[in-house]
Amino acid sequence: MKILPFSKTYDGVTVLDFPGLELQPGTVYGVIGANGSGKSTFAKILAGILPADQKRPALTEKRRVGYLPQKNYAFRMTTRANILLGGKDRHRAAQLMDALQIPHLADKRADRLSGGETARMALARLMMKSFDLVILDEPTAAMDMETTSLAEELILQYVKETGCTLILVTHSLQQARRTADEVLFFRKGQLLEYGPKETVLYHPLQPETRQFLDFYGV
Amino acid sequence: MKRTLAMLLSVAMLLGMMAGCAKDAGTQETPAPTPDEETAAVNTVILKEADDKMLNTYTLIAVDPAAPFTDADGNAVTDVTVNTEGADALIHWLLSQEALDLAANYGMEEYGEHLFYVKDDAPVYDGEITAATEETKTIRLSTTTSVNDSGLLDYLLPQFESEYGYTVEVQSAGTGKAIAAAKYGNADLILVHSKSQEEAFVTDGFARVVDGFEAERISFLYNYFVLCGPTEDPAGVKDCASVMDAFAAIAAGKYPFVSRGDNSGTHTKELSLWPEDLGITAEAESFADYTDWYISANAGMGACLVMAEEMGAYILTDKATYLTFYANDGVMD
Amino acid sequence: MGSALEKAIELILSADAEMLNILSVTAKMSLQSSVIALLIGVPIGIWLGTCRFPGRGILLVLNRTLMGLPPVVCGLVFYLLFSGVGPFRHLKLLFTVKIMVMAQVVLITPIVVGNMESYVGSIAPAVRETAKGLGLTRLRTFCLLVNECVYQIFSAYLLAFSRSIAEVGAVSMVGGAIAWKTNVMTTAIMQYTNRGNFSLAIALGIILLSVSLLVNIVLSLLQRRLSQ
Repeated sequence: MKILPFSKTYDGVTVLDFPGLELQPGTVYGVIGANGSGKSTFAKILAGILPADQKRPALTEKRRVGYLPQKNYAFRMTTRANILLGGKDRHRAAQLMDALQIPHLADKRADRLSGGETARMALARLMMKSFDLVILDEPTAAMDMETTSLAEELILQYVKETGCTLILVTHSLQQARRTADEVLFFRKGQLLEYGPKETVLYHPLQPETRQFLDFYGV
Repeated sequence: MKRTLAMLLSVAMLLGMMAGCAKDAGTQETPAPTPDEETAAVNTVILKEADDKMLNTYTLIAVDPAAPFTDADGNAVTDVTVNTEGADALIHWLLSQEALDLAANYGMEEYGEHLFYVKDDAPVYDGEITAATEETKTIRLSTTTSVNDSGLLDYLLPQFESEYGYTVEVQSAGTGKAIAAAKYGNADLILVHSKSQEEAFVTDGFARVVDGFEAERISFLYNYFVLCGPTEDPAGVKDCASVMDAFAAIAAGKYPFVSRGDNSGTHTKELSLWPEDLGITAEAESFADYTDWYISANAGMGACLVMAEEMGAYILTDKATYLTFYANDGVMD
Repeated sequence: MGSALEKAIELILSADAEMLNILSVTAKMSLQSSVIALLIGVPIGIWLGTCRFPGRGILLVLNRTLMGLPPVVCGLVFYLLFSGVGPFRHLKLLFTVKIMVMAQVVLITPIVVGNMESYVGSIAPAVRETAKGLGLTRLRTFCLLVNECVYQIFSAYLLAFSRSIAEVGAVSMVGGAIAWKTNVMTTAIMQYTNRGNFSLAIALGIILLSVSLLVNIVLSLLQRRLSQ
């Protein structure tokens, strides 16, 4: 599976210019960069939510793509009903709720959940189905540390089980270090650096990447 | 949350209204004639009545389907539907001895006074009255508010409707509007009380002579307008020799006067009673210099009476509305 | 002479025939017009809220203008169109409940449309992203969106009904306030006020307000139950 080169322009200003990328199944691609670097736009175009300037799908092949938006929408029904929107398997739904520690919320109205609870519900909802490509836009931003690690564990397990390609947009370098195989570093709408996590996150080639790592660094 | 607020607001309004009424009830429950009360409920009283100048004549006119109707743009319209059979039947019945007697006695029971008198020269109809058919059963009568408000039609029409099978749909507005409705093809007959406007209606070709009658205008009932004002009567109209003198006294002393100002028959009559040199007409410019005492309300009779009561102003009104107003102890203050 | 409040209670208890007729005409007119406005307005509102197409902006401006349409202007237009000399005179609709309902629908539908459009517009992008992210079909997405609107439809209906029951300018013009036929509560209140019969007007006002209150209470209870 391949991502074709594409760009996105608003009112004459190019906010994203992507050179294209070959994707490997079973691999986790971490997407990092500062706010406004084009990460979310990249995710939305890949998911087919936003059209690119080229007016064609960004992926070479028609594949099943799953996408978790940054802002999760909870439908006005129970948490369980929300999760079952992703797939019909009730047993799987119960498993996912258990794994994310939300079984007690199953019969509660989802639109009344807290931010962290909504994020877990939304993640479970997406994982009801298997996809060829899964794009997660900051899935753990609203979660506390404990649930974040539960969620990461679940995400990695999901990739292993389904053999899908995962694109994980995150603002957390630690999360990228923990989960990613390959890392894409965006800066001002450009893919500045791409490579295995050992290179990009520990021995970056570009000075801007180094700056970014130092700034947010551990 | 928003809904709860709205509900609370409605409850508050309801309570407010009830409280307002309850307070009002206190003053209302005092019977008007009790002398030991400080003030009577209504301070506006009849000061001048039964003057020939205040004669109020009611006229029936049937609408001619072949009249020169025009639409809003002034284009001629020829196929206007007018229920001529129904209009004829209603006019025939209203001028039967039976109906005239009923009209003459109307008001005696409720107010102990005649509200209408039958004109001496009213043509009496004693021929056949056609019963309703499926096509003619709905009669559209356009009349003035003062007729409708007097309750006369509610009193007369049920008898006609049950006897001959018609349904009379009564629309009421000021005479000007009542006539306009007929010109727009929305009435089969009119019952109004403004001679000049009636004559214009006939001259314009909208009227029709009904079988058994001689002229288009069938004047059959009359009563008197009454000049009302505060009991104190600062202008001294009670002692004036005629109603013209009374109006002159009001104008000379610049005592507040409430005018309907809505082209109704009452308004037309009032305009004819002012001293000519004042030049008051229906046009707003004509009384621009008198706004300190001449109040052109552009409202219904009842609303104007309330205004007059509040302001201690003089007012020209038909007697029936005044009596209703009085019976209800006037306003809530 | 009792107080207006006593009179109102008396009127309701005595089940005065004309009063009952006014109430039933009012109910018939308000219910019909609000339901029709809902049936027309909700789909249009959802359509305008979800779809992006050229001309949508113009439609929204048009709708906003219609939302502010003075009822008397609407009444006047209908009066002229359906008058004995108007172009639609053969339909013989002037001074009927039907034309009152029509005028009301013209007045209320834009309110329903505007109400639904702004709500749907605010949730549609998020719903669409989420549904697309889950790989749901367009039909399924649409059903979910409509399902999300159920509560909004309730409040839009409430708004439409209260507008309809409280409106006087248009209905008095096209209905003519004919006793036993087209006289509704608001026009009756106006008539009694013009007659100087204030206690009866207030009595009707209290009944009108109570009906509004009752409808509000019933609908909010229903809404609360549904949202459980």
